[in-house]
Amino acid sequence: MSVEALDRVAIPAGLAVAPALPDVLPPVKLRRGFIGFVRRHPTVAIGGALVLLLIAMALLAPYLATVDPTALAPARRTRAPSPEHWFGTDMLGRDIYSRVVYGARVSLLVGFSVALLSSLVGLAIGLVSGFLRWADGVIMRVMDGLMSIPPILLAVALMALTRGSVQNVIMSITIAEIPRVSRLVRGVVLSLREQPYVDAAVAAGTRTPAIILRHILPNTLAPMTVQATYICASAMIIEAILSFIGAGTPPTIPSWGNIMAEGRALWQVKPFIIFFPALFLSVTVLAVNLLGDGLRDALDPRMAKEY
Amino acid sequence: MLAYVIRRILATIPVMAVVALFVFSLLYIAPGDPAAVIAGDQATPADVERIRASLGLDRPFLVQFGDWVWNIVHANLGTSMFTGLPVTKMIAQRLEPTLSLMAVTLVFAILVAVPLGVVAAWRAGSLLDRAIMAFAVFGFSVPVFVVGYLLAYVFALELEWLPVQGYTPLSEGLWPWFSNLILPAIALGCVYIALIARITRATMLEVLAQDYIRTARAKGIGQSGILFIHALKNASVPIVTVIGIGIALLIGGAVVTESVFVIPGLGRLTIDAILRRDYPVIQGVVVLFSFLYVLVNLLVDLVYTVLDPRIRY
Repeated sequence: MSVEALDRVAIPAGLAVAPALPDVLPPVKLRRGFIGFVRRHPTVAIGGALVLLLIAMALLAPYLATVDPTALAPARRTRAPSPEHWFGTDMLGRDIYSRVVYGARVSLLVGFSVALLSSLVGLAIGLVSGFLRWADGVIMRVMDGLMSIPPILLAVALMALTRGSVQNVIMSITIAEIPRVSRLVRGVVLSLREQPYVDAAVAAGTRTPAIILRHILPNTLAPMTVQATYICASAMIIEAILSFIGAGTPPTIPSWGNIMAEGRALWQVKPFIIFFPALFLSVTVLAVNLLGDGLRDALDPRMAKEY
Repeated sequence: MLAYVIRRILATIPVMAVVALFVFSLLYIAPGDPAAVIAGDQATPADVERIRASLGLDRPFLVQFGDWVWNIVHANLGTSMFTGLPVTKMIAQRLEPTLSLMAVTLVFAILVAVPLGVVAAWRAGSLLDRAIMAFAVFGFSVPVFVVGYLLAYVFALELEWLPVQGYTPLSEGLWPWFSNLILPAIALGCVYIALIARITRATMLEVLAQDYIRTARAKGIGQSGILFIHALKNASVPIVTVIGIGIALLIGGAVVTESVFVIPGLGRLTIDAILRRDYPVIQGVVVLFSFLYVLVNLLVDLVYTVLDPRIRY
């Protein structure tokens, strides 16, 4: 009952009513709109802006690149950065700036595809595992087994089986990341199943598919989004590592890992060949990680305190 | 306690079985027929068939799998398709550099990360805390080979303080061995340090809010005594867990670090095996590393009871 309401109630004689207290704290003015959002979640804003910038760079690569990224120019090999070749040229005379711009396409494609695919498959496996008791034991033992193979090695082993192609890179990293998502989803499902509102839904006669759709799925979205950004960052690093050791994106496609692999032999004398793709890869991964940290804090304040 | 140890050891068996089945299936479905490779170009189909039978490749999948597991248990990982040497021998030759690198990195990372995490928790919210956590985000984001080349360029090429690349066996002296491992260990340790520092800070914050910390402070125990004896000991279980889980990062990162610093270890062996499509070697390395990883985490679980006597099973 509010103070105003109390005034209107007839107060029996002899009963003192505490006077209304003045507001000690000034009202918190929550800034709305874009600026307010940036103020409250600076990491989401910075990370998100950088990611958008990189997406724009990948999409507009044909317009941003100065020359064809695969054009050979043997006369202009390993030139240092200059106004003509901003990031220099590699040992085949290809323009590193143009190659780096096109390389964003591979990294972002791999990162986003792996995040999306492993989230979808992991969600399905996690739901099955969380709802079907008899399948849970078997599925989780398989996931434990897959998780005990270090992800890079697992991806390397899978890549050794297939031809190097962007699709195969995506598939290999996705398989390596699925166990983590399914464990997360299963954990969420198991804790949600104990919630009173799920019991209430069961008691009301709601069928299992409807319970999953209405009560379970919406609650897995927040942790899965956060997990997906981290998977995206880790997938971009693994793609670069696979390409760097020669088991990833085919060398004909300019990717950051490939440019670095090509510059490896010359890194002591021509460090700029490795420097620029390394810089872009690091900034991209940092942007996605910032976005993930910010989303975690924004979506789950309880977790924000833990880290 | 003993029952728990036995239960925990038994629980690793299905995990190991899944790893073995998965890795064996890789070889089983791998393109290229080993029998055809051995038989050579001049062989008739009948020759290939005979060689396949002599290798036992015409038997059912599960029989071959059982055979393969039997061999692994007897420390036989097959022979390399490229060099013709036993895989166990090839791995044994490359084991020292990799184990050295991982051991130095592990010690270095724990020595750096735990104090960083403790200080960040102690001064939570301060500029120092923010700096340490910002460093942790960078550690997660900058890939190991980028850090590696940067360190090698600055400290080896420009300043000439340390050797650029290569590896010196421990038998040739402690300093030559160690000096070659400093830069690779720092590069490899970055992600690991970020991971451990974050979890240390998080668990320390939780522990520092407990009543017994206030009691210790009331008793007049000094700040460092509280942080490192009362708080850190109680925060040790999650930290040790993450150190165990993080070994996977070290294993994956070692493959790349060895390639950047030209260290002739298991990572180089793996990369060479991939380029040559030498499946038995790839298989052997994956099995070895995975079992190592499972074993480390088994040890971590067993160490819990020593670290925290409150845990009873």
